[in-house]
Amino acid sequence: MESYPPFVLFDCGLTRFALGKYCSNLRELLEAMRTVPDPVLEHHLVRCVLDDHFELNEFPNDLARWCWEGLGDQVLAEQLGLLDPYQSGGLAAVRATIVDAVEDRLWTIERVPWCRPGRELHLVQSRVIAYDSDERFTTPAALAEAFPRISLRSLFYHVHEAHWRGDGKSDDFSSWLEVAGAKPEMVRQWRSVDFYFRNLTQLRHEYMAIFRQHLPESQAAVSG
Amino acid sequence: MGLLDRYEEVVGHQEVRRLRHLAERVAGKRIVHVNSTRTGGGVAEILGWMVPLFNELGLETRWEVIAGPPDFYRVTKSFHNAIQGLPVNLKRGDFELHNEVNRQNAERLNLEADAVFVHDPQPGYLPHFTPKGRVKRWVWRCHIDAARPNRAVWKYLEKAVPMYDATIFSMAAFARPLPRPMFIIPPSIDPLSDKNCPIPEAERLETLGRHGIDADRPLLLQVSRFDRFKDPLGVIDAFRLLKPYYPELQLVLAGGSADDDPEGAEVLKEVMERAGSEKDLKVLLLPPDAHRTINALQRSATIILQKSLREGFGLTVTEALWKGKPVIGGATGGIALQIHDYQTGFLVYSPAGAAYRVRYLLRYADKRQRMGKIGHEFVKEHFLLVRHLRDYLKVLLYLDHPGMETLVV
Repeated sequence: MESYPPFVLFDCGLTRFALGKYCSNLRELLEAMRTVPDPVLEHHLVRCVLDDHFELNEFPNDLARWCWEGLGDQVLAEQLGLLDPYQSGGLAAVRATIVDAVEDRLWTIERVPWCRPGRELHLVQSRVIAYDSDERFTTPAALAEAFPRISLRSLFYHVHEAHWRGDGKSDDFSSWLEVAGAKPEMVRQWRSVDFYFRNLTQLRHEYMAIFRQHLPESQAAVSG
Repeated sequence: MGLLDRYEEVVGHQEVRRLRHLAERVAGKRIVHVNSTRTGGGVAEILGWMVPLFNELGLETRWEVIAGPPDFYRVTKSFHNAIQGLPVNLKRGDFELHNEVNRQNAERLNLEADAVFVHDPQPGYLPHFTPKGRVKRWVWRCHIDAARPNRAVWKYLEKAVPMYDATIFSMAAFARPLPRPMFIIPPSIDPLSDKNCPIPEAERLETLGRHGIDADRPLLLQVSRFDRFKDPLGVIDAFRLLKPYYPELQLVLAGGSADDDPEGAEVLKEVMERAGSEKDLKVLLLPPDAHRTINALQRSATIILQKSLREGFGLTVTEALWKGKPVIGGATGGIALQIHDYQTGFLVYSPAGAAYRVRYLLRYADKRQRMGKIGHEFVKEHFLLVRHLRDYLKVLLYLDHPGMETLVV
């Protein structure tokens, strides 16, 4: 029987940094999107899922959320909500798309939307600090069994962060499941999950459903 | 049983284990926290649990308190107000006094450590007077909303910032551009403290009885200082708008005694006048240690209000959500981070808005229950002290490995 290494579970957390800068209106958002350093954009698009935001938010990124809730610009919010930074060919391309969308919106509206005082978009940058949780899984069934209790932060690290740091095509779980002999259909199904548009709890449930389907003997089958 | 083990029943064994694991990366460091008082106030409350828990996590942690003459505290109280943007009248001599007291304390206190966390502006100039090499890293922890400070005071405090390695603010919205990294660490609540722990049903009912509150009728509650920014008059107005539709409704405004706060006493007087002789409206003046009373009131409320016009983080909202209550709050400061329409409560912009949302929630018990559940989980994930500890550990890790790329330790 072919041997393979165990799955090494990492936990992680964000260290968030305030810039002391904020946007109050759409023009300021455009300027910010043109000039902020990459880690700021990365935070508001990708890492914000790990922020202390409310998980049941409507949109997967801060920009769409702020346009909807702060500016009341539903049209732009819908447009930015559809943006998928993992499928957009890198951060420079994402930035260009956002700048284009905001600029285009500014051309078409009569008045520049402003937010109420207190509802500004405060610019933040962040850094992921990851560490070995000391948990190891030697079989897909063992991973399935533990899946309901791994932290949402671990899920972020092994899915979102894995896509960001890798080739953007796979996450740590499915890469390991593949070498651990999981059925190709299971791996395919896992990779087809639209992870960016799910919050982390929804994502966990979705993966647990895949475990239940393919490894019905695992505990995920009953605890989901 | 260790102190941290007690939290396992709240956040789970795994979560405490993960915290211990993270702490191993910085274990053995010598940490000092410095503030200006050992009792009273939010900072002392935080350090009261943080210092022993840091020690249990393997960090050699001490808590030092600066000392100064009464005039020093008058000056630092003015600093506090000035950082929040209130007008203050300070003279050159006041700044000199602040400097001198910091110099004396730098000589007096044992600050030798790998990292010193300086809380708020009172001890802000300690790094300036501490011999080089005694402290490896200085971190200034600002607990105050510094978004719109008084210029003169901020200019004075800002001069101390380059002596620090980093700063910490509670929310991005509370920070101003500074030449050092500005970490964001929101405050947290202790789920096992008297204010937040589960309490026996008999004690809850006894508390209601003692204050003349009917346990069988719906109860609205706002817990806050008698301060205009908390809009207690707006809450009374909202209650009056509701009373014709819900004659059985009760309102309790609970806050601390305002004896030592001239403005608080004035607001309290206005509140009493507006409340009049309405028997279902109670204004409770509670002593500073009435944590269990507040706990019982929050657990008894049908809906909790925090109708602030201006707010810091709004920990009373966090406490209410933790107790599974829907919250109706003013759309300001940290309240807007915690309340999400139709999910954990409602953000409102006027007394009429508050009345409208209360009417909705009184009508639907199932929605109140659902919101309470979501709010409790939200707080559990983000605003309990375990997360707070984790954030401080990450600051220490960052200081050892600065940079913006993902750090794997």
